Amino acid sequence: MPYETLPHTADVRIRVTASGLEQLFSETARAMCDIMAPGCVPGRITREVVVQAEDPVGLLHDFLSELLYLFDAEGLLLCDCRVTLREGEISALCQGELFSREKHAGGAEIKGVSYSGLRIYKEGEDDVLEIIFDV
Amino acid sequence: MAGEVKRIGEYEWELPVDYRPGMRVPGRFFLSETLRKDLEGGALEQLANVATMPGIVKYALAMPDIHWGYGFPIGGVAAFSVDGGVISPGGVGFDINCGVRLLSTPLRVGDLANRRELVERLFQAVPTGVGAKSGLRLSGKELEEVMVRGAAWAVEHGYGVARDLDRCEERGAMAGADPSAVSQKARQRGLPQSGTLGSGNHFLEIQEVREIYDPEAAAAMGVALGGVCVMIHCGSRGLGHQVCTDNLKALEAATRRYGISLPDRQLACAPVTSPEGKAYFGAMAAAANYAWANRQVITDMTRKVFVQLFGIEYGEMPLVYDVAHNVAKREEHVVDGKAVPLCVHRKGATRAFGPGSPGIPKECAAVGQPVIIPGSMGTSSFLLRGTAAAMERTFGSTCHGAGRVTSRTQAKKNLRGQQVRDRLAQAGILVRAASYESIAEEAPEVYKSSLEVVRVVDAVGISKLVARLEPLGVIKG
Repeated sequence: MPYETLPHTADVRIRVTASGLEQLFSETARAMCDIMAPGCVPGRITREVVVQAEDPVGLLHDFLSELLYLFDAEGLLLCDCRVTLREGEISALCQGELFSREKHAGGAEIKGVSYSGLRIYKEGEDDVLEIIFDV
Repeated sequence: MAGEVKRIGEYEWELPVDYRPGMRVPGRFFLSETLRKDLEGGALEQLANVATMPGIVKYALAMPDIHWGYGFPIGGVAAFSVDGGVISPGGVGFDINCGVRLLSTPLRVGDLANRRELVERLFQAVPTGVGAKSGLRLSGKELEEVMVRGAAWAVEHGYGVARDLDRCEERGAMAGADPSAVSQKARQRGLPQSGTLGSGNHFLEIQEVREIYDPEAAAAMGVALGGVCVMIHCGSRGLGHQVCTDNLKALEAATRRYGISLPDRQLACAPVTSPEGKAYFGAMAAAANYAWANRQVITDMTRKVFVQLFGIEYGEMPLVYDVAHNVAKREEHVVDGKAVPLCVHRKGATRAFGPGSPGIPKECAAVGQPVIIPGSMGTSSFLLRGTAAAMERTFGSTCHGAGRVTSRTQAKKNLRGQQVRDRLAQAGILVRAASYESIAEEAPEVYKSSLEVVRVVDAVGISKLVARLEPLGVIKG
């Protein structure tokens, strides 16, 4: 897994490492799906997700929040997202499957994506992201 | 850093106003020596952040279950003046009106011969865990009514009795709810989840009253030694989560517009009386009402299982009380000898109004508002009463629970859900959960001692112990 779990007593805090912001956002979406529904795979469902925000942190926050909404409202687990980043906008072509209680047992329900502790930074060549999910 | 924290009483600590630049008031928190060992630096930073917010009155407060959250620390309480102060979703959280209710029954432990069947039947009756779907089929219009009328909607539709409303904070529906401020997305998240318990620390527990500390208050509240009770812990599900998400974005823009500078983006806020602040309050109240309806519907499911299994009457399971522990409220409090309207935020904290306060059940007028403090699976829960000291010192607030000491990941690494379940079963506590992982994550040892937390609020006097309840059976997400 290209993400690791960091200490946080109440919620789930992770660090994701990737090369470039687009890949970083895509890996974070995958990590979020893995926390909610371990074992999810990109299936036959595809969905385009577009969000606008003013900065990279805002874009990532809104992008993940949109995926959470699609999970709650439609049971969609979009774990494979091809992210394209433009000034003030993310558009992502996302592939996933429908949630099944049998297949995806053992996950944690994520209530929201927190700005507290949300950081995106460079570490050598890598882009790194730290984030806290309220569970 | 911790060196700058001042101890100002046996259980009281102060974060001085010069602890960090930008603080408008000092921080105050309540901890015993034991609890102080687990205090995280991150939680203190968050308390200092709250103290920087415009219009904060007196102190940024934290209860003894203080821990590191997002925005406010968990256990955080802050009051803002209505005139010039702010309202923030960071002071409420994603799970708006996450709360607890307690039902009593005419049964005693000896009557629960088929306890395993009871736990299993409750697990089947109450949709539980990630992705659980509601048996309710609310229309869009019904959802609107739920958001305005809360538990009263549920009672009118056959999910309870009128007396239940007398025993809910706000009578199960906050005034000022504005469904038009609730987005389509929030509605779509909420529709399939009404009447579901959720996962994480949410639970439904069968308990026995094992100890009475205050017989007069226990009698007024309607609990008796040896009685079987049911505790329900859940919130506003995806609807509340989305209201928080939507408003973080809206209020971030407002924060800039009103020239407010904040140390944490999660604290995005707007003046209480601004259009943005009012819109958040209206949406938050709508989500809070949805949560009260949700707990009412789950109460109905629970009562029906008991009626079927034990042949008791539906009306023999009265509601003791229902409290919110993530909410912002318009309340009047006495500050420096004058009654002033405030916007009180409680994030992982419980209202604890003292005797004679407005809005508490008439049976409890002399003893104070019932306060329900859930333990974790396998540990004690408590019933307390609100006090005059809480009115004077904490804007009528107290703690909300135990608070974790071990992260979920660490718990899953160290503990196996199956073993935790077996160990609890040996101790007479039957657990039924959607997954073993959730049992490991919520094992008793990952939480602080709930006894130590309530001991501190009792010693400080911001609420007083009434009864101790021990778990007999638990269902979890």
